[in-house]
Amino acid sequence: MTRHVILGGGPAGIHAVETIRQLDTEADVTLVCDEAPCARMVLPYHLAGTIAPGTLFTTDDAWALEHQVALEIGCRAHRIDAAAHRIELDDGRSLDYDRLLVATGSSPARPPIEGLDSPRVVDMWTVADAGTFLEQDPKDVVIVGAGFIGLVILDALIKRGCRVRFLEIASVILPRMLDANAAGLISAHLANKGIEILTGEALSQIEDTGSGCRLTLAGGDTLDCDLVVMATGIHANRGFLEGAGIATDAGILVDDHLRTTDPAIFAAGDVAEGPDLLTGGHAVHAIQPTAIDHGRIAGANMAGLDAAYSGSLAMNVLHTQALESCSFGRWSPEGMESTGLSNPGAGIHRQYIWEDDRLVGGSLVGPTAAVSGANDAGMLKGLVQTGISLGTWKDYLKDHPLDLRRVYVASGAPKALLSSNLLTGRASTGGGYRFPPRPPKRPRSTHHAVLVTR
Amino acid sequence: MTSATRTLQIHPDRCTGCKQCELACSWVQTGTFQPSRSLIRVHVFDEEASFAPYTCFQCDEAWCMQACPVNAIDVEPDTQAKVVIDDVCVGCGLCVIACPFGTMFFDRGSHTAEKCDLCADDPACVHACPTAAIEYVEADPVGWISAFGEKVDAGRRDSLKGEL
Ligand SMILES: Cc1cc2nc3c(=O)[nH]c(=O)nc-3n(C[C@H](O)[C@H](O)[C@H](O)COP(=O)(O)OP(=O)(O)OC[C@H]3O[C@@H](n4cnc5c(N)ncnc54)[C@H](O)[C@@H]3O)c2cc1C
Ligand code: SF4
Repeated sequence: MTRHVILGGGPAGIHAVETIRQLDTEADVTLVCDEAPCARMVLPYHLAGTIAPGTLFTTDDAWALEHQVALEIGCRAHRIDAAAHRIELDDGRSLDYDRLLVATGSSPARPPIEGLDSPRVVDMWTVADAGTFLEQDPKDVVIVGAGFIGLVILDALIKRGCRVRFLEIASVILPRMLDANAAGLISAHLANKGIEILTGEALSQIEDTGSGCRLTLAGGDTLDCDLVVMATGIHANRGFLEGAGIATDAGILVDDHLRTTDPAIFAAGDVAEGPDLLTGGHAVHAIQPTAIDHGRIAGANMAGLDAAYSGSLAMNVLHTQALESCSFGRWSPEGMESTGLSNPGAGIHRQYIWEDDRLVGGSLVGPTAAVSGANDAGMLKGLVQTGISLGTWKDYLKDHPLDLRRVYVASGAPKALLSSNLLTGRASTGGGYRFPPRPPKRPRSTHHAVLVTR
Repeated sequence: MTSATRTLQIHPDRCTGCKQCELACSWVQTGTFQPSRSLIRVHVFDEEASFAPYTCFQCDEAWCMQACPVNAIDVEPDTQAKVVIDDVCVGCGLCVIACPFGTMFFDRGSHTAEKCDLCADDPACVHACPTAAIEYVEADPVGWISAFGEKVDAGRRDSLKGEL
């Protein structure tokens, strides 16, 4: 009986467990996680108070029973003895494994400045962080870092009635999601809504004043607020691998089977540097969809399937005060051929990035009707994901950048997609509602009867 | 996909662009007659002098379902339709960008994801269409879209030839 140990109960770890169990009903599966397994990207909605608290968590006793998983919650992996196939926990115990998955995710990286140890300075990465924030119920918040994590919590804080200001050391916002022009539309929109974004400003110190925080900028100016949220980047949780002899770069290097340089050890999610769909190289794509792909592929291979991964695709979507934005793949126009159109007055931007006659990335900004209320965002993703050659349709799209659907339909992308699966040849049975009892069947709308009389 | 599963087959050559399906869909799904909130969208193909209603293929991989952080998307056992469980959806929008067909939407009214659920095995769009351009039948979902794609592609090649 194979002994599988999974370290980390984020989306990568959970999907690996479920995939292993789907393929092997006998194996021994243990999940080790220092916190209650959760989907951290749900934190903004927890802050906003728009969801039931339980929605954050991804496992419960019934799940563990159904999947026959031994849960080791509240302890940390401390060291790996790769030669002995043993993992040491911080509570002194150890676990032996035949196959190990490292899915320990990432943690916030804080800049080296003074005053960050105050309880009025919080990260926004864990359920505990959100709890610290909610307990203090601040009304005046400064977010340090105007990247994706900083901006993804904006709507929630506004909904809570907070005054929100951003402090950003770079000259632009969202440097890892949008180019300067597209990001500029969002800055302008937020400025119109009275949300201040101080760019090009370095923070030199935070002082706890007893009733709030005082931030001192490099130029000497100060800002007073109730609470500071730090959102200045993340780093992979791989410290405990030191000495295990596994190759790492920005993350743990894995091949297309999500295997590390040690054949008994796999890695998945934010902590892994896996194949990049578009470059053929390796990349850390610290996003939910990559964590899930990784978890499923790693789980399948750990269970003995031969599942190769074509690579992860960067993608992000953001809602900021009714303006939507999304980007895919190699969205940066720098050094690339690009086709774009932009109407700053209406807050609309659209850009495609080319490599020969293939789309390798792009971005959309606009109101719901122009982004997730239309077919276009997904069609752009489909064209980038399939990497299909557009031939003479490239010129057409350059002349008619808004008529993506015609290009999409003619490209053959839908056919290619309809016959592809992540775990080749297997209809995807994963996913689906996780907690029994399953909600009742979705009822037919009552309006249906009004329309359809038979 | 089991053989008994029915899918929406579109006949672009029969579509007159009347948008009755969009009206029916938005009424059933949102309780309003607002084509902009319909889950089936009638696309205009000017150069082909054609229209094509377009909605979810209920694909096997279900990228939307896989991406969802809270498993708010489930497979309906009878129809194999992928459906959003409204109470569970937190409205993060990830499924919208994960779906490579562009058939997942974010609804600005409900702040949740919306997709075609086949109206629990009796799609309203099929009833609404006066020319039977939308049929709910046992058929490979790839069928109509690849044939139509080839036609659109061939049309452009012909028109480019004409320009030479
Ligand atoms: C506020 C917020 C919003 C986000 N929004 C989005 C979004 O909109 N879209 C998107 O794609 N992504 C988003 N993300 C990112 C996304 O949540 C991550 O990419 C994803 O959670 C990565 O999954 P993972 O399984 O690799 O790691 P994690 O989810 O980080 O899980 C790893 C787990 O391992 C545990 N662990 C770490 N070290 C050890 C150890 N030594 N021993 C035991 N356990 C350990 C950790 O505590 C954690 O529980 C967001 C993240 C945050 C914080
Ligand atoms: S919008 Fe709703 S259904 Fe879609 S991924 Fe997010 S939570 Fe899931």
